[in-house]
Amino acid sequence: MSEVAQLQLIALSIVGVGILILLFIKAVFIRVTGFVFIVLGLFSLMSLAVPQLASLPPAEEKIDISSIKTPTDIAAIGQTVFFSKGQCALCHSIGPSESARCPDLKGIGAKLSKDFLYESLTDPQAFVYQDYRHGGVPKEYPATMPAINKDPIGLSKNEILAVIAFLQQMSGEPISVAVSELEIPGKTPSAPVKAAGAASFAMAQVR
Amino acid sequence: MSAIQEVETVQRALRAMRGQERWLLGLLFTAGWFLLPSMGFAAEGTTAGPTEYRDIPYIGSRNLVWIVAQLHLLLAGFVLGVPIFAWLCEVIAWRGGEKRYDKLAKEFTKLLTSAYATTALFGGILLFLLVAFYPKLMNYLTDVFFPSFLLYCLLFLLETATLYLYWYGWDAMQYGNKKTLHVFLGFLLNFFALFIMIVPNAWATFQSSPVVLSEGTAFERAWAATWNPTWWPINIHRLIANVVLGGYICGAYAGVRYLSVKSTEDREHYDWMGYVGNFIGVFGLLALPFAGYWLMREIYQYNQQMGITLMGGFLSWLFIIQAMLIGVLFLGSNYYFWLGITYRIPGSEAKYRRAMLMMLISLLLCLAVWMTPHSLVASIEEAQKMGGAHHPLLGVLGVMSAKMTVSNLMILITFMSFVMYWRAGKQDTAGWAKLGKAVMGAVLVLASLAVIVLGIWGYFVPAIVRINYFSTSQVAIVGFVILTITPLTALLLKSAKTTTEMVWGSMPPRAGYALVLNAVMVILLMTLMGYARSSSRVHWHVYGVMRDTSPYAYSPALGSASLIMAFCTFFFCILVAFIFWVATMGDKYKAAAGAGKGELPHGIPAMAGGAPEERQ
Repeated sequence: MSEVAQLQLIALSIVGVGILILLFIKAVFIRVTGFVFIVLGLFSLMSLAVPQLASLPPAEEKIDISSIKTPTDIAAIGQTVFFSKGQCALCHSIGPSESARCPDLKGIGAKLSKDFLYESLTDPQAFVYQDYRHGGVPKEYPATMPAINKDPIGLSKNEILAVIAFLQQMSGEPISVAVSELEIPGKTPSAPVKAAGAASFAMAQVR
Repeated sequence: MSAIQEVETVQRALRAMRGQERWLLGLLFTAGWFLLPSMGFAAEGTTAGPTEYRDIPYIGSRNLVWIVAQLHLLLAGFVLGVPIFAWLCEVIAWRGGEKRYDKLAKEFTKLLTSAYATTALFGGILLFLLVAFYPKLMNYLTDVFFPSFLLYCLLFLLETATLYLYWYGWDAMQYGNKKTLHVFLGFLLNFFALFIMIVPNAWATFQSSPVVLSEGTAFERAWAATWNPTWWPINIHRLIANVVLGGYICGAYAGVRYLSVKSTEDREHYDWMGYVGNFIGVFGLLALPFAGYWLMREIYQYNQQMGITLMGGFLSWLFIIQAMLIGVLFLGSNYYFWLGITYRIPGSEAKYRRAMLMMLISLLLCLAVWMTPHSLVASIEEAQKMGGAHHPLLGVLGVMSAKMTVSNLMILITFMSFVMYWRAGKQDTAGWAKLGKAVMGAVLVLASLAVIVLGIWGYFVPAIVRINYFSTSQVAIVGFVILTITPLTALLLKSAKTTTEMVWGSMPPRAGYALVLNAVMVILLMTLMGYARSSSRVHWHVYGVMRDTSPYAYSPALGSASLIMAFCTFFFCILVAFIFWVATMGDKYKAAAGAGKGELPHGIPAMAGGAPEERQ
C-alpha cells in the first residue's frame, strides 16, 4: 500500500469515527468533537486528493571534469542544472508556455553572445535598471532575475557555463563554451568571462 | 581495579543474579526503551565541531518543533485576538450603555489569564526545543536580534502587569472616571499586545526575506533585519487574522454552549453571543483577503522565485485547498446570517428567501471559479485531447484575474448578507428612504459590474498592469461599497420602525454547528498558511543566507502535512475547550451552590483565571 493510500485510510478512519460519534453519542461536547473529526478528516482527504509534490533540496552534483570530452557533454550537464539546481524552469520556458512568467528562452543562444548571457546571469541589473515605458522621469525598475551565482541559487562558474552551452544547443547554435574554459577544482580559477562588446547590443534591446 | 578484577566482579554479579534472568531481561529492555531517545539526541553531538542539529527519534525534531510552534502561534493569535474583541465590546457597552456587552467582554477577559499562561508555556517549550534542536540557527538569530530579545522581555512584563490590572480591576473600576481608566487599560493591553506580536514577527519574516548588514552596531543590524520587506504585510495580516480568530472562537464557544444549555435565559445569551462572535469574525474576514494580497505582492517583489514557489511551484495546489477553506468559511458565515433572518426575525424568511437562494448560488459559483486549478490533473490521453495541462474552457478560470474577481464578489455578497440581516424586521419611515435604497442598489449593481469588467479586462493587459491597477481598483471598489452602504443603512434604520422584534434563543442546533465549523475553518487556514510560509523558504533556514543542512531540509507534500495540520487544529481546539472549562468552572459552582455560598472567603486571592465577584 502506498504512503498516500495509508494516509487516506487514516483520514477516512477519522471521518468514520466522527460519523459513529454523531450517530451513537448524545453528549453535546463529544458530538461536537465528532463533527470536528469529520471536518478535519475531509480536509485531509481533500489535501491527499491533489497532486502530492514535495520540495527536496537540490542534490549536490559535482561536475567531473575528466568525464567531459566535448561541448555536447557540457550542454548535457547544463540541461540537468537548468531543470534542477539552477531553478531556471521555475520561471522560464523553452518555447511558448502559458505557465511561464519570464522570457521564453527558445533561441536565446542564437540571439545573445556567450559573454552577454554570462553577464545576464551573474549581473542581471547591468543594463535593465530603469523603466522608460511611462514617459517622464524613468522609474527604478529592477529586473526580477536574481544573480544566479549568488545565494539562494549559487551556481558555480562551471555550472553557469554549462547552462549557456545548453541554451546554445537548444537554439541550434554551435556551442561556444570550450572544455578548456571549465575550472578544475583545486587549480587557480581562470579570469572571469568578460561582457565586453555586449553593451551596445543590450541598450538596443532595452530601448 | 585491573581488567581481570573487573571481569571477576561481573562474573560474581552474574552468578548472584542466577534465577533472576527474566526479571533482569525485562529491566534491561525497559532501560533500553527509555534510553532510545537519548541515543537519537546524541547522534549529532558526537561529530567534531560545534553541534548544528539534534534530533529526537520517532517523531523527529522538525515535526515536534512544527507542532509546538503552530500551537504557540494559534494560542498567541487567540490571546491577542480576544483582548481586541473584549475591548471593542467594553467600549460599545461604555459608550452605548448596553450592559450585556460589558458582561460579554468580562466573560472573555476571564479566559485571558489562563490562556496567557498556556501561550507563554508553549512559547517556553518552543524556545527550549529550538535551542536544543537548532543551536546554530538560534545562535545566528540571537546574534542578529539580540536587542529585540530584550525589548520583547520588557513588553512581556508590561503586558502581564496591564493584563492583571485590567482583569482583577474589572469590578473595582466599573463606574465614572474609573471606568474610563479601565477602558484605557484595555487600550494599553492591546497596544502592548500589538508590539508583542510584531517583534517576533520580525524574527520569522527575517527568515523569509532577510536584510543582513555586515557592519554596524547591534542595534543598527537588528533594526535593518527587523524592517525587512515582508514584516509589515505579515503584521497587518496577522493583526486582522487574530481579530477573525477571536471572533469565530467566541462564536464557536457560544455555539457549543447554546447546544448544551437548557434554560431560556442561557439560550438567549449564547445565541446573542454567537451572533456577536460571527459578526466580528466576518467584519475581519472582509478585510483579510486584501491583506493577504498585499503580502503576496510584497513576496513577489522581494523575490520572484519565492512568489512562484508559492503560487506556481510545488505549493500551488495548496492555494486550491486554501480557496476551499475560505469558501466554506464564507458559506458558513453567510449561512449563519441567513439562519438568523429565518429564525430570529419571524416573517422575514418569505421576504428574503429568493435573495438568499440567489446569494447561495452566486457564492457556490464564485467558489467553483476560485477552486479551479490553473493546470488540471490529467492522464496523458486527456492532456493530449486538451492540448496541454490547461483545459480549453476551465483553464480560463484558473488564473489570478478570475480568482481576484470572484473573491471580491464573495466579499460583496457576504457584506450584503449582513446588510439584509440588519434591515430585516424593520420598516423605513424616512422621507428619503426610496431614494436612499435606489442609490444603494445602484452602487451595488454598478460596483459588481465594475469588478466583473475589470476581471475580464485583466485577461487582455500585461500582468503588471493587472496587478498594479486592476486588482487594486477592484479592492477599492469593494471598499467604496462598504463605506457607502454602511452609513446609508445606519441612517435609514435610525428612523425605521421595528415591525418584528428579534427573538433570541430560537436558532436551530445546526446554527451552533455552523459556528463551530467557521472556527475550525479559520484555525485550519492558519495552520495551512503557516506551512505555506515556512515551506516557501524551501531548503533555507534564512532564505539565501543560512542553508538547512539537516536531514529535514525538505518540505513534505501537502497530504502528509495536512495530517499534522489537522492534529494541530484538533489539539488547539481541545486546549481552548480546556481553557474555557477551567475559566468557567467557578461560575458553574457558584450557580449550583447559590449566591454567596460558593464564593471565596474574604481576603483569600482567587487563582489565576478565577472569576472575581460580580457586582452588576
